[in-house]
Amino acid sequence: MKKTKIIAGIFWAFLGLIVFIILFPGLNNFSVSVSKLPFMKINPRYTGGEKAYHLVAEKCTLDIRRPVFNGFLKESNSGFVQIDWRGDLPALINDSIDYNGDGEKDFFIQINRKNLKTDLKSFNPKVKDVVISTPTSYGWAVRVGLLKE
Amino acid sequence: MDNILKTTGMKKSLGKSLLYTLPMFLITFMFLTGGKPNFSDTASGIALLTVFILVNVLFFFMHFTGKTDKYRAVLFIVFALSLSYALINNMLEVRKAMYFSQADILECKIPFCHLVIPMMILPAAFTKSIIFPGSIIGGFANISSMVVLWLVATLVLGRGFCSWGCFYGGWDDGFSRIRKRPVIKKINELWKWMPYAVLIMVILSAALTLMPTYCSWICPFKAVTEFEQVTSVESATKAGIFLSLFGGLVIVLPVMTKKRTQCSFLCPLGAINSLSNKITPFTVKIDKSACNECFKCVGVCPLYALSKEDIRSGKVSIFCSKCGKCMDACPQNAIHYGIKGVPSGTLKNFSRNLFLFVSYLFMAVFSAGSIINTFHGLLKFIF
Repeated sequence: MKKTKIIAGIFWAFLGLIVFIILFPGLNNFSVSVSKLPFMKINPRYTGGEKAYHLVAEKCTLDIRRPVFNGFLKESNSGFVQIDWRGDLPALINDSIDYNGDGEKDFFIQINRKNLKTDLKSFNPKVKDVVISTPTSYGWAVRVGLLKE
Repeated sequence: MDNILKTTGMKKSLGKSLLYTLPMFLITFMFLTGGKPNFSDTASGIALLTVFILVNVLFFFMHFTGKTDKYRAVLFIVFALSLSYALINNMLEVRKAMYFSQADILECKIPFCHLVIPMMILPAAFTKSIIFPGSIIGGFANISSMVVLWLVATLVLGRGFCSWGCFYGGWDDGFSRIRKRPVIKKINELWKWMPYAVLIMVILSAALTLMPTYCSWICPFKAVTEFEQVTSVESATKAGIFLSLFGGLVIVLPVMTKKRTQCSFLCPLGAINSLSNKITPFTVKIDKSACNECFKCVGVCPLYALSKEDIRSGKVSIFCSKCGKCMDACPQNAIHYGIKGVPSGTLKNFSRNLFLFVSYLFMAVFSAGSIINTFHGLLKFIF
């Protein structure tokens, strides 16, 4: 029994050595495998959620994402909708947004890119306020706070 | 069998030490250069060669002198400093600032580190997603690579990760070595259970808020990596907490106590790693027949992992990070690296050689990239 334990312990230790030797050369492959696991995707609270629809203007595009109400065990009562402007943006952005796709405008947003000021006019009681309005590498992003419908 | 296997003294002759260093020399050469060293850029060539020599000389001295911690700590501290340099440098290159903006969060460009892992577990299980604004694969410090590195290292080394792989531990390890004698000699050892409380708190709060709360509010190493841009009272409060905890737990207390206080009293990942000590093949053993109960090991242990009771019972606690400081201090070679299943006092040299090779290989290869980059950056800055 004592000898078996010793052999098992040494085998386990050598296995550790082998694992370490193949770890670094195989790191890219292991990482790609791990990245394919079902939970290995960034929470919509950070990514902003999936694109709901896409509008094309003269020099820029507008992506309206699905509202995010993610919670731990159940959906949260408050969330946000993210809107991304991409391309050659005007100094003053004016857009009316229908975030839930019901055919009615839910809010009007005005962004002054020079003084970084963002104004929101709500037409829907579920629309709260501007949570984030920031320049990004691709243009501009805004998150508007929402209450669950 | 015990008598056949029993050995004492960890020093080796010059020839034997060179022989034991040879495999490390060859493997690190392959890993660092890919088998084809590139000396086209002088600064890169010098940086690569210097780090390669440093790594192997330190390993040689571990065998030649029989001391572990003394040489481990050099690479460990250099790793911590260079990793912070690499992170800050990356931040300055990409964002022209050490802070990250709201846009960086929205675009998921925040570098990931292993301290986030405890907070990922529950949300990953229940929401099938990662609650961190980083990159899953590709780019600088991506989530998948860091998870693989930490998981494998923790399964093999247990809490040894905290002394052989963590790129933050070198900070308080370094500061704990500044004074010769501690100013504060006694701290209530109940504090060493604090990381478990922090672990539970951050796991629950991260799950409830779907935010990496430790990173957002507590992590002292934000002070030497990246932090949120100060634009409000909340972000200013966070910056204040980061700086206070870094100053208190990473600088002042380690200097005063000669202990790694951040690792001992705060780090939630250290708490998980200490649990993994139960399943790793490598351990630290006490040879009771050789021990004369001088308790020098208890005094020098930087993580409060050894008590007089542990020594008397012949078992080290789960807090042990296998740094080797106790072994360097033991005049009897009574405390030694061991392998699970192998009785204490036996196969001492074999266990040490195997553990050192495995753990040092991990640290050397994991740290080499950032140390080379840092050294390269310094060379370019000077010349």
